[in-house]
Amino acid sequence: MIPAVLLVSAAALADEIVLIRLLSVRFWPHFVPMIVSQAMLGFGAAGVAIQLSRRGLGTRPHRAFAWSVLLSAPAFDLAYRASLRVPFDPFLLMWEPSAWPAFALFFCLLSVPFFLAGFAVSVPLAFSLGQPGAVYGASFAGSAAGALLALPAFSLLPTESLLRVPSCLCLCAAVFVLRGRAGRLRVGRAAAFAAFLLVLALPPPGPSPSPYKDLAATQRLPGARTLAVRSGPSGDYRALLAPGIHIAPGLSLRFDGDMPPQAAVFADGESRGIVPEGGGKKPPAYLDYFPAALAYRLVPGPAVLQFGLRGSEGVLAAARGGAASVTVVEPAPEYAALVADDLCAFAGGWPASLRPEILAEGARNVLARETRRFDVIEIAGISSPTFSSVGIHATGETFLLTREGIGAAFQRLSERGVLSITGWIKVPPRESVKVLRTIRAHLEGAGFSPASSRVLVIRGWASFAIAARRRPFSREDIAQAERHCDTMGFEVVWPPPVAAPGREEPERKAFREAAAAAVAGPAGGWEDGLFDLRPVTDDSPYFHRFLKFRSLPEFRRILGSQWVPFVEWGVVFLLLSLAVSLLLAAAFLLLPLAFASHRTGTGGIPSALYFTALGLAYIVIELTFLKLGILVLGDAIRAAAAAIGGFAFFSGLGSALSGRWESVRAMKGRIFPGIALLATAGFFLLTLAAPHLLACGGSWRVGAFLAALAPPAFLMGMPFPAALSRLSRTVPSAIPFAIGVNGFFSVAGATLASVGALWAGFRGTLLAGVALYLLAGALFGRLDSGARAGR
Amino acid sequence: MVTDQLKEEGISDTRVLGAMRQVPRHLFVPPGLRDLAYGPRPLPIGEGQTISQPYIVGFMTEILRLSPGDRVLEVGTGSGYQAAVAATIAAEVYTIEIVESLAAGAKRSLAALGFRNVHVRQGDGYYGWEDKAPFDAIIVTCAGGHIPPPLLRQLKNGGRMIMPVGGPFMTQNLVSIEKDGNGVVSARNVLPVAFVRLIGH
Repeated sequence: MIPAVLLVSAAALADEIVLIRLLSVRFWPHFVPMIVSQAMLGFGAAGVAIQLSRRGLGTRPHRAFAWSVLLSAPAFDLAYRASLRVPFDPFLLMWEPSAWPAFALFFCLLSVPFFLAGFAVSVPLAFSLGQPGAVYGASFAGSAAGALLALPAFSLLPTESLLRVPSCLCLCAAVFVLRGRAGRLRVGRAAAFAAFLLVLALPPPGPSPSPYKDLAATQRLPGARTLAVRSGPSGDYRALLAPGIHIAPGLSLRFDGDMPPQAAVFADGESRGIVPEGGGKKPPAYLDYFPAALAYRLVPGPAVLQFGLRGSEGVLAAARGGAASVTVVEPAPEYAALVADDLCAFAGGWPASLRPEILAEGARNVLARETRRFDVIEIAGISSPTFSSVGIHATGETFLLTREGIGAAFQRLSERGVLSITGWIKVPPRESVKVLRTIRAHLEGAGFSPASSRVLVIRGWASFAIAARRRPFSREDIAQAERHCDTMGFEVVWPPPVAAPGREEPERKAFREAAAAAVAGPAGGWEDGLFDLRPVTDDSPYFHRFLKFRSLPEFRRILGSQWVPFVEWGVVFLLLSLAVSLLLAAAFLLLPLAFASHRTGTGGIPSALYFTALGLAYIVIELTFLKLGILVLGDAIRAAAAAIGGFAFFSGLGSALSGRWESVRAMKGRIFPGIALLATAGFFLLTLAAPHLLACGGSWRVGAFLAALAPPAFLMGMPFPAALSRLSRTVPSAIPFAIGVNGFFSVAGATLASVGALWAGFRGTLLAGVALYLLAGALFGRLDSGARAGR
Repeated sequence: MVTDQLKEEGISDTRVLGAMRQVPRHLFVPPGLRDLAYGPRPLPIGEGQTISQPYIVGFMTEILRLSPGDRVLEVGTGSGYQAAVAATIAAEVYTIEIVESLAAGAKRSLAALGFRNVHVRQGDGYYGWEDKAPFDAIIVTCAGGHIPPPLLRQLKNGGRMIMPVGGPFMTQNLVSIEKDGNGVVSARNVLPVAFVRLIGH
């Protein structure tokens, strides 16, 4: 039994991490809170189900355990396949009423494997089928193993086959339950096992991106064919070629030539760059016709640092700009290999005159570690006209565009060096203004005043380029920018032209005035306005979140039916998923308890508050560590594996040992204050150490991250079993109520942690979690107060 | 729809209002969504494509200042609704759709409604419709974030072009391109009334 518990636990955790990738490709990368909610719903529902059917299960718990393990095996694969058949797409939630039940069904289906796995792990504990310590130990060791196994699987398996990992783990678990207690092989179980083996023989479903994603749109083009596929922990990368691909966002109207055939490159289904055919042999001329070329006009023969490989276009544009060298920071080695190796023949290799150095690290890691200085540092495409333009990344962490990130980029500029930032102009202006304010805040904070003389802004018909540096731009620099604009049909926005502009289009005027106000307007007052355009920091690194809740009534009032484009889709989806997950959690966790309360009993207000606080606090602290882990570890998947696996492991250890400290005195005097102290200390120490850690190697960073979370996670494993143990002695019939309430708020907590990080920052969110633990500590001694026993 | 969504939001061209009143929008959306056809929202039409909300269609048509004798090119036929609205005002509409099933569906819808002056072709609209050029007006609904040079060449001197920019379901802004009498091209972001109101904040 113990090996089965270990393997099922590993499968459940691996499934969580695999789903993060699969749903990133299918929809977008910010499904982490929803997946955690689904897991919490499944586990919580399993706990409630066991408690409500204790009498029935109690007669044959071994059998229940065996079948829950067996059924888990195909569930991971089949639930995902079934979810593909649900006509759910996040984009439709706003427009089609039928999308809501589809979303609920989608949510439930992906919770089923967690329900079965949770059932399999909880039955031995509920019915004392083995030594509780051994069961707990197997469960937490399995969770850690699941996290460890998932990461190499990303490199070894194609994206579509990733679900093999939890399925195979569970099939291995099933081997241990094929025999009955007497040791005889059970025919029914063996037959089921054989049937479930066939699931592995099914061809894996494709990545099935939403039809609204860039990848799906390109796949529909006549003659589209896939040139290369790579995948790894950082993402799923695909290159497609089709005669209908013509991508050049913001290309000058002065360009009248032909563009070569292009291969489009996608990361998790979103457009991530272009590889022009034969560009390495002869970089195409159209690459000169973008505002981004400004940096190369200002600094001849530069040493260039680029963030993110944009296919081969970034390197080719640098070659056309006369760069002396180019270093590209690309955290995904798979993406770099796809462009440099798989597309080498198509691309014509790299230009002979400019072979890029590609650094496979996170942007902030390179900036922290690098000692060289560069003449041009490029951050391209901070806003785009495509899929991303609708705010789906509003809930995504972007540590390069924080005050700290921009400051680190300035540190690596040479004396003549220029920081170049480009993007698509939004109406009203948003990214452009926010990044200009961030630059200004850094420059003036570092003593380079006024910032207005150190910034140049130009625009094309729909895109902008910002050049910023510590030394003021000279008249000759500005004249050079004006010549570039005259040639290309662009215009200088800042510094303002000497001659006052005549009659201007509203959009042009708005952009010019917004840029001028950001660079040279009165400092402060940045809290005003309909959008949140304040510079962001590492504590809340949501550069693409502009929504202010207090602006929503104003949007409705002034925009009527047009308001949707100004509300970031990522935030909308986060809130919608919170609503759906709460409804489902109420239906599966609270409603059954309400119906059964006459026989199960209920807790009183203190116990309701206690389990509410625990449900919220645990997940809030875990996810806040996870988000900080994205900065420290360099990407979301590694952070998810380390945080979810680490918390499961250390909390499991704490749960297993909780019996030693479950007295009221120990819990109130040591455990809860200890959680508050260690969570706060671990988080703040990690935050303080982050600037230094970023320069260290990956294993050091993982070690430091786990060291920071381990002590609080260990203690956080204790309050739940300690409270159940206490209830079991006083009002045992209130245990289902406790499990249900805890599960409900765990489901809510996953999304609330993200909402908190967006508006209150990591520190505020973590401290809210700590306060909830302190509240729970105050209630621990009154758990049975007001509880009502069932019949 | 015409009164609530178009006139009230500032669309005043009587030809556009008349065309929007005349073309049965519900026949260009999937049968299951017909009840929602006249609402102020975009709707999915399959293949990851959408039919723009009525206001955006009206606004784009108004920007083009179409006259009864005009020849119009549309790149990205989609459902065919925009072509139908344009064809109600202009003389001829040439529309190109790269996705075969959409081109076929639009052709059927337009033929069923008797639009003999709309010509649908399946193909890559990036290169325009060379043998029918030049055009008085061009509508580009899928252009990879840039204005294809071949289309600029196929635009008459004095012609107008419009290109919506944004993600699925959400038109973020509209780019209007004009070619003056000397063939000089200029582009500007034109703003729906609601956007204009917003940038004052």
